[in-house]
Amino acid sequence: MGRTLPSFMQVILSEQASLAKFRRALRFEDQSALDDLFRMAHYHAAESAYASHALPFEVMLLAMLLEEHKVVLRLQRQIERLELSGEST
Amino acid sequence: MKVLDGWIFDVYPAGQEMVVWVSDPEGRAHCLRDTFTPAFFVGGDPAELLAAAHFLVDQGWSVKPSRTKRTELFSGHTIGVLQVEVTNLNLFTIIFERLTRAKPRLGYYNGDISLPQMYFFARNAFPLAFCHFVLNGDNRILALEVDDSPWTLDYKLPPLKRMVIRLEGDAINPNHGYRAPLVVETEDATRELNGDDPRALLETLRDLLVRHDPDLIVTDWGDSFILPRLLQMSKKYNIPLPFNRDPSRPPQFHPPDSYFSYGRIVYKTAAQMLFGRWHIDRRNAFLTDDYELEGAFEIARLTQIPVQRVVRTSTGTGISAMEIATAYRRGVLVPWHKQEPEAWKSGLDLVRSDKGGLVYQPVLGLHEDVAEIDFISMYPSIMARLNVSPETVSCKCCPDNRVPEIGYSICKKRRGLVPETIEPLIRKRVEYKKRIREVPDGPEREIYRRRQSAHKWLLVTCFGYLGYKNARFGRIEAHEAVTAYGRECLLRAKEIAESRGFRVLHANVDSLWVQKRRTTKKHSDACPERIGREEYNALLNEITRVTCIPIALEGIYRWVAFLPSRQDERMSVANRYIGVFEEGEIKMRGIETRRRDTPPFVVVAQMEMLRVLASAESCEELKPLVPRVIEIACAYADALRSGQVPYQDLVITKRLSRDPMAYSKDTLLAIAAKEILGSGVELSPGGSIQYIITEEHAGAKCDRARPFVHYRGQEPYDAEKYIELLLRAVETVLTPLGIGRTQIDEWVKQGTGEAERAQRYLAKKKVEYWGPLFEFAERTKAATQ
Repeated sequence: MGRTLPSFMQVILSEQASLAKFRRALRFEDQSALDDLFRMAHYHAAESAYASHALPFEVMLLAMLLEEHKVVLRLQRQIERLELSGEST
Repeated sequence: MKVLDGWIFDVYPAGQEMVVWVSDPEGRAHCLRDTFTPAFFVGGDPAELLAAAHFLVDQGWSVKPSRTKRTELFSGHTIGVLQVEVTNLNLFTIIFERLTRAKPRLGYYNGDISLPQMYFFARNAFPLAFCHFVLNGDNRILALEVDDSPWTLDYKLPPLKRMVIRLEGDAINPNHGYRAPLVVETEDATRELNGDDPRALLETLRDLLVRHDPDLIVTDWGDSFILPRLLQMSKKYNIPLPFNRDPSRPPQFHPPDSYFSYGRIVYKTAAQMLFGRWHIDRRNAFLTDDYELEGAFEIARLTQIPVQRVVRTSTGTGISAMEIATAYRRGVLVPWHKQEPEAWKSGLDLVRSDKGGLVYQPVLGLHEDVAEIDFISMYPSIMARLNVSPETVSCKCCPDNRVPEIGYSICKKRRGLVPETIEPLIRKRVEYKKRIREVPDGPEREIYRRRQSAHKWLLVTCFGYLGYKNARFGRIEAHEAVTAYGRECLLRAKEIAESRGFRVLHANVDSLWVQKRRTTKKHSDACPERIGREEYNALLNEITRVTCIPIALEGIYRWVAFLPSRQDERMSVANRYIGVFEEGEIKMRGIETRRRDTPPFVVVAQMEMLRVLASAESCEELKPLVPRVIEIACAYADALRSGQVPYQDLVITKRLSRDPMAYSKDTLLAIAAKEILGSGVELSPGGSIQYIITEEHAGAKCDRARPFVHYRGQEPYDAEKYIELLLRAVETVLTPLGIGRTQIDEWVKQGTGEAERAQRYLAKKKVEYWGPLFEFAERTKAATQ
């Protein structure tokens, strides 16, 4: 459709493309971790677009951080549960 | 003097008057005439207007220039304009165009409204309106009283005599080389006309047309093939075919065209329009059966566009016509070439305003206790309730009434032209929806349903037209205001839902998928079932109260699965999901069944699997059904291998995105298109091609796929390729259960006997997605509690 500006999805893709060299130089196991980070940014594309931030890459970083933190919290809870069940047995 | 009651059937200009065809309650057609003088308007400097008037008179054209006052749309001011009345209707467009070329600096208004529409405006009438006419001896209209309204919910239509003209056999596009005898269906009989003797064929057809005198001729490919060929033959053998009721003129021919719109090529086929009779080509209209004609009639009545045009118009023309009618009623000038430029914005303003609706990424995987809630006609409702219209945006007089996010002001003093146009339309649609719920299933309800969906078609386009720079009543700022309000409404709804303890799994422009444990039927066994509904109603009421935009419950799901992207199984996409409502209705988006390039065979197979899964009341009940899904997949795969599948079910339909010769890579589509091209048929970008895969990896390209028109069923099809397409459809259905392609392949290969193994496999595997970093995480018992 006739858009003047690229959508946030397109912005993510172009950022990803601009980091192609970085990705290429990474070791294979690191490459897939990098791809994961961009998936996280994708997941929050709607919220990021709504934010209308002048520097979209910063918002993408924040989205990655947010998802990372969710993982940390989840793992933390899981550890607590395991510890509790360990104590009870 | 005599009187006549009847429905306006067709209207078109002829010389100094309009020809008005009227169908009376007995179904007889009457040809009436009405004197009509249309006018266009010219605005500008008074001296230049005077010069324009002199120019017109000097040319000796049959026009009556005069001075008058009209309202200008954007400023709302009354301005002095030159009114040019044209007495010879055939010259209206020519005179208008000559004047615009001679005096290009003046402003022109109302010059490109079609004459039938202008006639309807002037007489306050519309197509298929029931009217009382007073006539003189030679059928000239002395008085016309409209005894009908486009806003009545129930109206009578004239009895229509119809004739169907088509080619015998499967519905295959004759433009791609299909040939068969001509079939003519009338009320009493179906005749097959053989083309061996063209004279006999033409004479029989002529006699049928004269004897039956149909009001409506329905064809398959009549616009692009049947009528042009018949008329060509009629010329060659000098046997006139009276397709028109009006003998004074030939049918009107509009040539075909390809154009680029919304990121894809669209092919518009030729059109053959008749005078005093309708020709409707089922393959060149948005209707496929009798009931859908109801929708076309409804649109014709509302938009004041004659029926033959309405069925062929592009979306947007209808709503634009209604806006012009509102302008005409208010004495507002309709600009010819819009001169309102887009206002300057800073870069950051652009980032803020150039956004569409909010489209979230859904939480992947299988969910229960989910309800879908949708704003009812969100964008039109915003326009109507919040008065968003091109002339009300960025007004100077109401600085307090600001659009969220982008800060444009919206006028509170003037009622906008677009809101005034669509408000009754929204009301009428709501009324029809109410009737659909109240009336028992039957033909009456079906008619309401068709009319209601015709309204939907009009309302959807009214928003797009607000942002289209070439639209007469379009203005990008108004479009941005609507989307900004839309985002605000969606976020308010999200906040309200969350404050009431719902989790928002997905949100897409005007709908939200909200989840709350223990609200659906299953859990409320112990307590009364109604609690869930009440909770939803409270949620809906609060959202409607806060946003001013009505929202409704689309349904409560037994289960819903948001599917991953086809390219990346760890990424969710907004519009790919399968769900089953409590009533058992399946709703799906973006999966094979919904795509037009899926062969019918795969669609049938996938639907059968979905129906099996739809019987599950909850996520837990889905798993035991997997072996049955695999059985179905195996049965269909066996049918493919043993060649039992009729070739019609294997056809793949795709749209040409460019000229066939311009395809650099030989895709199956390109191969099929080139073969059709080779048989001497012309193809245009945007047209559809149907083909069957014969041997995908054959060495010779022409062996890989064959066009459907050339395929006669003797050649083998590529069973393995079709099995691949089938298994992809199976995968889509089973992914939410954590079953991948490798597992499916294994089960299908080992046959149905091994289905019990599936049971065991599933009993072990409990899966859940979490976040975009979701691995298929093992769900521990504690996690769910």
